[in-house]
Amino acid sequence: MMYEHFDNAVKGIKEKLNNDPEGINARKKYVLELSRLGRKLYSKDETIAWCGVTAPFDLLSAMGVTSCFVEFVGAMLASTQTAGYFFEEAEDSGFATDSCAYHRAVMGAVLKNAMPKPDFIIGTSSPCTAGLAIVENFAHQYKKDFFVLNVPQNYTKDAIKFLAAQVEEMTLFVSDHTQRPLSMEKLGMALENFNRSSQLLKDIYDLAKTKPSPVDNRLLRDFGVVMPLLMGTKAGVDICQAFKDELNHRIATGWHHVSKEKTRLMWIQNRIQHPFPMDEMLDDLGAKIVVDELNNVTWEPMDPDNPFESIAKRMISIPFSMDTSERIRLMQNLAQDYQIDGAINPCHWGCRQGTGARGLISKGMQDINVPVLNLEIDCVDSRNLSKGQIETRVEAFMEMLS
Amino acid sequence: MVFLGIDVGSLSCDAVLIDKEKNILSYSVIPTGVKNIESIAQVKKNVMDSAGIMEKDIQYIISTGYGRNRVQERDRAVTEITCHAKGIKHMIPETRILIDIGGQDSKALRLDTDGNVVDFAMNDKCAAGTGRFLEAMARALEVDINQLGDLDKGATSDLVLSSMCTVFAESEVVSLIASGTEQKEIAKGLNRAIAARTNSLVKRVAKNIDGLAVSMSGGVARNKGVVKAIAESMNLEKINTPENPDIVGALGAAIIAFEKWKTK
Repeated sequence: MMYEHFDNAVKGIKEKLNNDPEGINARKKYVLELSRLGRKLYSKDETIAWCGVTAPFDLLSAMGVTSCFVEFVGAMLASTQTAGYFFEEAEDSGFATDSCAYHRAVMGAVLKNAMPKPDFIIGTSSPCTAGLAIVENFAHQYKKDFFVLNVPQNYTKDAIKFLAAQVEEMTLFVSDHTQRPLSMEKLGMALENFNRSSQLLKDIYDLAKTKPSPVDNRLLRDFGVVMPLLMGTKAGVDICQAFKDELNHRIATGWHHVSKEKTRLMWIQNRIQHPFPMDEMLDDLGAKIVVDELNNVTWEPMDPDNPFESIAKRMISIPFSMDTSERIRLMQNLAQDYQIDGAINPCHWGCRQGTGARGLISKGMQDINVPVLNLEIDCVDSRNLSKGQIETRVEAFMEMLS
Repeated sequence: MVFLGIDVGSLSCDAVLIDKEKNILSYSVIPTGVKNIESIAQVKKNVMDSAGIMEKDIQYIISTGYGRNRVQERDRAVTEITCHAKGIKHMIPETRILIDIGGQDSKALRLDTDGNVVDFAMNDKCAAGTGRFLEAMARALEVDINQLGDLDKGATSDLVLSSMCTVFAESEVVSLIASGTEQKEIAKGLNRAIAARTNSLVKRVAKNIDGLAVSMSGGVARNKGVVKAIAESMNLEKINTPENPDIVGALGAAIIAFEKWKTK
């Protein structure tokens, strides 16, 4: 069923793109590639690895492994409004209703046999131990081998060395399961694609900083957290190029001057994945999310001569992995670079990232005179949502900023 | 030339008419009920009849409250957060912290010296400590909601209700009654529980309230027991409450209506 879903999505988007050969259509090209990834995951012809969010997908891709982080599936189930069925399955098996719904949705999908069977599992201790426990649970369910990357929180020489050794060891684990050794040539190509994509991402984010900004509330949503799935590939480079072209086109045609931008906002962590009309609500209020916290290039270019250390450095530098003070420092820099008026933190239920650091984040932003609206919203499970309550908080926040 | 503010809350529907000197010409507070369109029409009629004015005399209408978008004749809808801040600034100008406990939500607002909202926090996920919560507790105690305010008089124990979930708290109250705890002690315990929750909301907008005047609006501000318990929990001598705490939001809406009309 899921293979057909992704196959139909690929066919449908391709047809739309063929009908508009002159259009840039960056977002459509991006969704097309993600649908292709979904189709590969469910094709049964691929070597599949379910992973933690910060796994080195470029390295796995160079080793011929189709990989994905499990939260991506949770988000997809929420956006297609099919998550409810899987929540119930997970809850019936004992998962608490206030646990993270990204994980609850995929756990339900595993229990319902709706997830592609992995060949092995790569867990990461970052961004959260709940995610690590969930993939370990998968390993037990599927009776597959499980490798853990323990990602340190501090960017120190020792920490980098510690993680680099694990990444190298991971390649041996993967080779053992695929019977294919790591090809340094393929890895070099993947890192080159990654570097080209990273440079394009920097260009995209620089364009987004323009005042008024050429982005809208949808264009770059969750871009920074999902793009690493594609960045080691040629398709990833093409997508980044398309987004850069789209923003340049908007600026050249003056689109950004006619778009509403009464208020410039930062969105902290991930967006709401179920069809809650937050984007429309913000549109109506003339508010524009000009930057998402995770739309940020925090790493140096990958060094093909020193790949494992480069990958380790990148993994530690991701805001998800960092300790809260470093994460706040990065957010403060973004706030100043993008000249934002306020920030919204959805504080996703049951999430260490979303709720654990909430007070510190608010204080850190207040220190640079940026007000923060803390919502308490489940970004994946819409069953406990009161639209009116969220509407009042968002509208009041905009009234306060104006 | 008059200006109308309508606050459509979950429990009550309030309207205030003011003139261009911001004098209150009339006001009305009625239950919202299940048909809020009818309540809106009724409350509007009440204030017009009472002030002796016609529809055409109303220059501008601002609606607020959870049902603000149900007021079809509004010129604009503004959230209750902004309206309560505006209303309390007019009634008690020195207010810097406003606690508003209404039918289904409670909020803490920090205001600047001009009465602008600089931060706010609201209850999330549940109606604990709100008017609905008190209604349920009054039911469990078998008293009228209007009697709750004085029910804790003479209480001496340091009982605090441990549950703030409306359902669990109701069952805790029933258990306390069954164990022979006096009504006044239970009422005091309830007030303390609401105070602790409110205090925590206030701390989210102001870590330190020294020297800041604290006021309270919303229907629950008429409950003396709750107001006193909140003041005690915040180590305050008193919390300011306006004569008509129910109409603060509607008054703020009417004032914003006047200001919008002036700059139109």
